[in-house]
Amino acid sequence: MAPAQDTMFRSADMSLVQLYVAKEIGREVVNALGELGQVQFRDLNSDVTAFQRTFTQEIRRLDNVERQLRYFHTQMEKAGINLRKIDLDVDTLAAPSASEIDELSDRSQSLEQRVSSLNDSYETLKKREVELIEWRCVLREAGQFFDRAHGNVEEIRASTEDDDAPLLQDIEQHATGQNGDAERSFSVMNIGFVAGVIPRDRVAAFERILWRTLRGNLYMNQSEIQEELIDPTNNEPIKKNVFLIFAHGKELIAKIRKISESLGADLYSVDENSDLRRDQIHEVNTRLGDLGSVLKNTKTTLDAELTQIAQSLAAWMVLVKKEKAAYQTLNLFSYDQARKTLIAEAWCPTNSLPAIKATLHDVNNQAGLSVPSIINEIRTNKTPPTYQKTNRFTEGFQTIINAYGTAKYQEVNPGLPTIVTFPFLFAVMFGDFGHGFLMVVAAVAMIYWEKKLKKVRDELFVMAFYGRYIMLMMGIFSMYTGLIYNDVFSKSLSLFPSAWKWVKPEGWVEGQTLVAQLNPDTPGYRYPFGLDWMWHGTENDLLFSNSYKMKLSILMGWAHMTYSLCLSYINARHFKTPIDIWGNFVPGMIFFQSIFGYLVFTIVYKWVVDWNAIGESPPGLLNMLIYMFLSPGTIEEPLYRGQGPIQVFLVLLAVIQVPVLLFLKPLYLRWEHNRARAKGYRGLGETSRVSALDGDDDDSNTLDGRNSLASDGEGVAMITQDIGGDEEHEEFEFSEVMIHQVIHTIEFCLNCVSHTASYLRLWALSLAHQQLSVVLWTMTLANGLSTTGPLGVFMIVVTFYMWFFLTIAVLVVMEGTSAMLHSLRLHWVEAMSKHFMGDGIPFEPFSFKQMLEEDEAAADIS
Amino acid sequence: MANGASIIIGLVVVVIACVAGWFFAPKGETQTIWRSSLILSFASCYLMWAITFLAQWHPLIVPRRGGLREFAVDE
Repeated sequence: MAPAQDTMFRSADMSLVQLYVAKEIGREVVNALGELGQVQFRDLNSDVTAFQRTFTQEIRRLDNVERQLRYFHTQMEKAGINLRKIDLDVDTLAAPSASEIDELSDRSQSLEQRVSSLNDSYETLKKREVELIEWRCVLREAGQFFDRAHGNVEEIRASTEDDDAPLLQDIEQHATGQNGDAERSFSVMNIGFVAGVIPRDRVAAFERILWRTLRGNLYMNQSEIQEELIDPTNNEPIKKNVFLIFAHGKELIAKIRKISESLGADLYSVDENSDLRRDQIHEVNTRLGDLGSVLKNTKTTLDAELTQIAQSLAAWMVLVKKEKAAYQTLNLFSYDQARKTLIAEAWCPTNSLPAIKATLHDVNNQAGLSVPSIINEIRTNKTPPTYQKTNRFTEGFQTIINAYGTAKYQEVNPGLPTIVTFPFLFAVMFGDFGHGFLMVVAAVAMIYWEKKLKKVRDELFVMAFYGRYIMLMMGIFSMYTGLIYNDVFSKSLSLFPSAWKWVKPEGWVEGQTLVAQLNPDTPGYRYPFGLDWMWHGTENDLLFSNSYKMKLSILMGWAHMTYSLCLSYINARHFKTPIDIWGNFVPGMIFFQSIFGYLVFTIVYKWVVDWNAIGESPPGLLNMLIYMFLSPGTIEEPLYRGQGPIQVFLVLLAVIQVPVLLFLKPLYLRWEHNRARAKGYRGLGETSRVSALDGDDDDSNTLDGRNSLASDGEGVAMITQDIGGDEEHEEFEFSEVMIHQVIHTIEFCLNCVSHTASYLRLWALSLAHQQLSVVLWTMTLANGLSTTGPLGVFMIVVTFYMWFFLTIAVLVVMEGTSAMLHSLRLHWVEAMSKHFMGDGIPFEPFSFKQMLEEDEAAADIS
Repeated sequence: MANGASIIIGLVVVVIACVAGWFFAPKGETQTIWRSSLILSFASCYLMWAITFLAQWHPLIVPRRGGLREFAVDE
């Protein structure tokens, strides 16, 4: 029998397969399967630590390559070079061959050395340049000072001999002093000096310390360096001052040197002879020029190198990531040393088996290996992972369900009806044609520019973008419910003639309250689609719409819950557990319908009866439901004839279901268990487990479908198959089953009540939404429209923008989010509690595509 | 137009639409999704419309409104 096509209705059929692959092509096989993305490998070495696994060495090497690539990336960012991004959807980089990886690793090794040596020399040169610039500044500043000072040596001399005289008094006034003495040096006067450069923020401390240690026996001259100096170690600009300190005696000078060096100043030698100084400046300038050209060359070479790397860095990163993932997967395999064979166990969709086989075959052919790779389906009592195939459209809806829990393998997937029910229940709360239209526009825009917007990384936007198809459906249904509620931005549409007509009494004046009646010209005519627009803006508008929406909520909730409950029937049918039908589904359904199904019936019945025509007063349904339980049989306001006995019957029917729900399933299970025991059967899992541990039971091996491999290799296969296989079977315990069933019964019965009430949120949210949009209209645009004259023009513009943006921000975004959360809750709690088992394990195939999508670092390069 | 019989007519139309949705759903992998979504949409939309129609079929209260102008009343 060909397996049925995989649908979204339930998980795809899964198979556990065993792969026997020659070690030489293990890497290629894993790469090919990673591209296919349909196989989930099981860890066969869970008792081995990460360091002891077969391919740890390779992974380490790839880690190193990855680190080198990251180093290039940071260097590029530092140099401001953009790397060429790759589009992972377009460029499907084929898995690299082993030699390509070797080449890549060698290449990145040598590139790393080259880049780092270039970097080092660049940094050294840069440092040298800064030093030279500083020296030049010192020379310039000191030179200026000396030129000024030489003009008035005499005065200085006089002042040094006179203790009271301040140093360098009135230099400015005597700028044009005796030039004849200019050549007389300070050394004659036994004055030494220290020149250097110090960071500006340390100047104050420097001065203070000098002053204290030298007790004021110094003269310090300093000036700020205007140009910004770059600290080569961290590329940050730093501001510095040039200082020139004069003092008596060698010891003091030595002290000053020490202090300045300890405070991080750089000292430079300056000659006091102006000719020598000129030569020095000249030399410094030449050296700076040379250095500049060398620096430029180094920088160009480095940039060229990096630019070249930038061309292919993204691709390399992807390759290395793939390669690493492949080896990590290979580490999950068990390795048979003796026969150089890798043995793997994996889950895969049964329908993908042919594709997997073909892939293996191709790899084998390409490698030209004589030993074939063997793929072998094994029967197992392990629970397969749940795999719900999704596409762009269904992905979002399935995520809603998966966020709550993973469906049990092969149970009905609630994701399928959610495609409609989620947006529809949302729309019941969000019903407004205009707001729905805005939402559709947003969703359509996101779908139209899907490719471009996929690259946007803003977190909030990514969330909205992920749910673009949900938004589309929500918008469409909101437009529909908006038409039903007859709300367009809180205004109404008059598409059809109303069924009502205002009655004008005698002597009516404009402004007095009017009462409508059903139009006598068109008897029997009712507004054909949605709410009659005549209700809009009336005094008792809310009275009517509240009653209508409340009943609508109950009816919708009833329909939704009945539908969900029916899914539990399908589950029981599929898992071949008839006791779940007779012990859970049937009594549950009868209980629910005899109370709430009856309520729904009375609601519809009350609508259908023309109470005015038969001249009776309509009964209140809420009281009817309450007294149905408080005093069964007594009817104060009859809805129909024979109501009393029918209600008594329904209450009895519901009450009888409680013991059925409580006891039928546990008792049946116990009976079945005891019968099996009495006949001498034991659980299947118990037997197979024992034999697997013994490891020599050939009969059970044939059962496992591995007879084709009957050789001395059985041992390995046995062991690999049994890993992690001993948690599946459970002993039958009556008390546990009973407790479980009691909880289920209590929960179910109470939840019937509370969940029905919970659907009233549909009414509450829809009322809130409608009222809020009315308020927004009256507070903004209505004011603008009622203003006349030139001010009116201005007001309309202003209030329109206010109204429009508040509509989007508050009514569409905020209210939309809240309605979405409520709809989410109705699905997770009210609907899914009726059928969802949800103890499945998600299927996580080994797929390069998925791996790259989830990788944060990969996001930078694509 | 649009009297009590509309409910039945609407039901018939929707059932026909559902049947059509079942048979004319695009073949292939997405057939289940098409069928389920179309039929559920038709059913929910019908339910919503029918409830609204029923609620106004035999109204128990009538609209009351003040502040109407002369021309609006006669319309």
